[in-house]
Amino acid sequence: MEPIVLVHGGAGDIPDSRVPLKLNGVKKAASIGYRVLKRGGSVVDAVEEAVKSMEDDEAFNAGYGSVLNLDGEVEMDATIMIGANLNSGGVTVVKDIAHPISLARLVMERTPHFLLAGEGANRFAKVQGVPTLPAGSLVSKYAREALEDFKKHGDNRTEIGEKGVGTVGAVAIDSKGRMAAATSTGGINGKMVGRSSDTSIIGSGTYADDNVGAVSTTGHGESIARFCLAHAIIYEMKNGSSAAVATANTLKAMTEKLKNTAGAIAISKGGDLGIDFTSKRMAWAYQIKDEIHFGIEHGQHTKEKAKN
Amino acid sequence: MEPVILVHGGAGAISDDAKAQELLAGVKGAAKTGYKVLTSGGGVVDAVEAAVRSMEDEEIFNAGLGSVLNLEGEVEMDASIMVGSDLSAGAVTVVKDIKNPISLARLVMDKTDHVLLAAEGAKKFAQLHKVVPLQPGALVTDASKKALAKWREKQVEASAELGTVGAVGIDSDGGLAAATSTGGRQGKLAGRSSDTCMIGSGTYADDNIGAVSTTGHGETIAKFCLAHSIIKAMERGQSAEEATQNCVELMTKRLNNTAGAITLSNRGEVGVAFSTNRMSWAYQKGDHLYFGIDKNERHIEKV
Repeated sequence: MEPIVLVHGGAGDIPDSRVPLKLNGVKKAASIGYRVLKRGGSVVDAVEEAVKSMEDDEAFNAGYGSVLNLDGEVEMDATIMIGANLNSGGVTVVKDIAHPISLARLVMERTPHFLLAGEGANRFAKVQGVPTLPAGSLVSKYAREALEDFKKHGDNRTEIGEKGVGTVGAVAIDSKGRMAAATSTGGINGKMVGRSSDTSIIGSGTYADDNVGAVSTTGHGESIARFCLAHAIIYEMKNGSSAAVATANTLKAMTEKLKNTAGAIAISKGGDLGIDFTSKRMAWAYQIKDEIHFGIEHGQHTKEKAKN
Repeated sequence: MEPVILVHGGAGAISDDAKAQELLAGVKGAAKTGYKVLTSGGGVVDAVEAAVRSMEDEEIFNAGLGSVLNLEGEVEMDASIMVGSDLSAGAVTVVKDIKNPISLARLVMDKTDHVLLAAEGAKKFAQLHKVVPLQPGALVTDASKKALAKWREKQVEASAELGTVGAVGIDSDGGLAAATSTGGRQGKLAGRSSDTCMIGSGTYADDNIGAVSTTGHGETIAKFCLAHSIIKAMERGQSAEEATQNCVELMTKRLNNTAGAITLSNRGEVGVAFSTNRMSWAYQKGDHLYFGIDKNERHIEKV
């Protein structure tokens, strides 16, 4: 099996001005994740590192650069899942942590639980020695402007006007066919305080099962949750559809039924890929051997030599 | 379509026979309560909400009053509700001092654009909608305090003696709804969220297919996406009973932990299955009440 790390930087109404930033960010994330695999790291390490690089990147709606809730604060969700044993970890509405995906991983590895929320998640972080950032550290200028925009025009979007932002995620498969998935987000612009998202729900934002495949989703969170999007895509793959067909068909069904858009990335246990979105754009990239593949527009699939 | 309200009072070890009798009485009452709402002009969502509320209010169930305690001796609750007609859903997680989390979940569904509110945010939302929080500790009972003390002594992965509650319903037009509510796991970390707040794990409803509510080992149910798995199995043609039995079995075999589920198909067929020792359940259809708690047990009573 040829190892692959496939990432997305969020589906939505990404404006032209943000396209180069997004593409650079996803290409970087894919190559970081791939390097981890090549140097003997696990698939879980790979997806975690890929997502961390996007959490650090202001261009993405995760970690630093997250959209704000109605109170002007950052509250984040993240989940990670291992295909080998279906173990998973997640955090929701957690504040002032640089890497929610790493905290999610700690929940998976150091507790008997799979999801910690709010204060409890923050306290767990402290106990684990994860630094708490000073309040407001994750608030970017763009996110602040996006909230002002929302307050004026009152429209929840994951990608806002001039400030393109969206959930991030990664899926990976190693040479032995082991898979993992990870997703992280700041949520929806102008959301209510305490609003939890599909990104914290196994089966909606994230899913991985070595018997079937791995999926990470992005887009209109409430719709993704109501449709159980990740699990629905997995189910199609389980019944014989390729990753591409499963992703495309399920996204289409969700969008038709719930009249809202989303995107997803998927790897099947055979190593074939699914990358699709019903929104205007979705930044994605993957590395396989020394090639980086990427795109952001419908029908775009560009290839270049990896720099590492 | 013959309306049906089917409820469960939690899957678990339930080793105490006296408690088992109380649970049976509770689920029978809840099924009747829900059925009455459904057949006296209420909607199917009203009916499942009413059935779950009645169990939240009863100390014997691990939901609302009588919820198990977290490591800090406090009650933190999860609940979710879903309507089959348009897949609308609402949920709350790790919410404190609210008498009826299922009704708060319903408010999330009806009054916001969101599907899930957590912790302090959920409580603030409650207050915004004139839901008055209880005094801290009001939902803590002597029994739950004793249970936590016992758990602390043993520090063992106690198989849940008490379980989540839930209800599924179908009305005369074939409209479906599902609702689930819980206090979670004994001695859990503060902030531990459960499958019960997760659409697809604890709860699911789709008028084209059916409605499901699950209970048991939460982490396992979530990993398996149990409610959605049962729905998908029915979509592929399995009956409510087959789908529920098969998925519970598959999950148990794969992940080595137990759970139970109640299901209604969109044709009104009933599915009840559990891999735990026991699960209290009851449903009313017409003027008959069906109920049980042990495997292969099924009683019928005229209402």
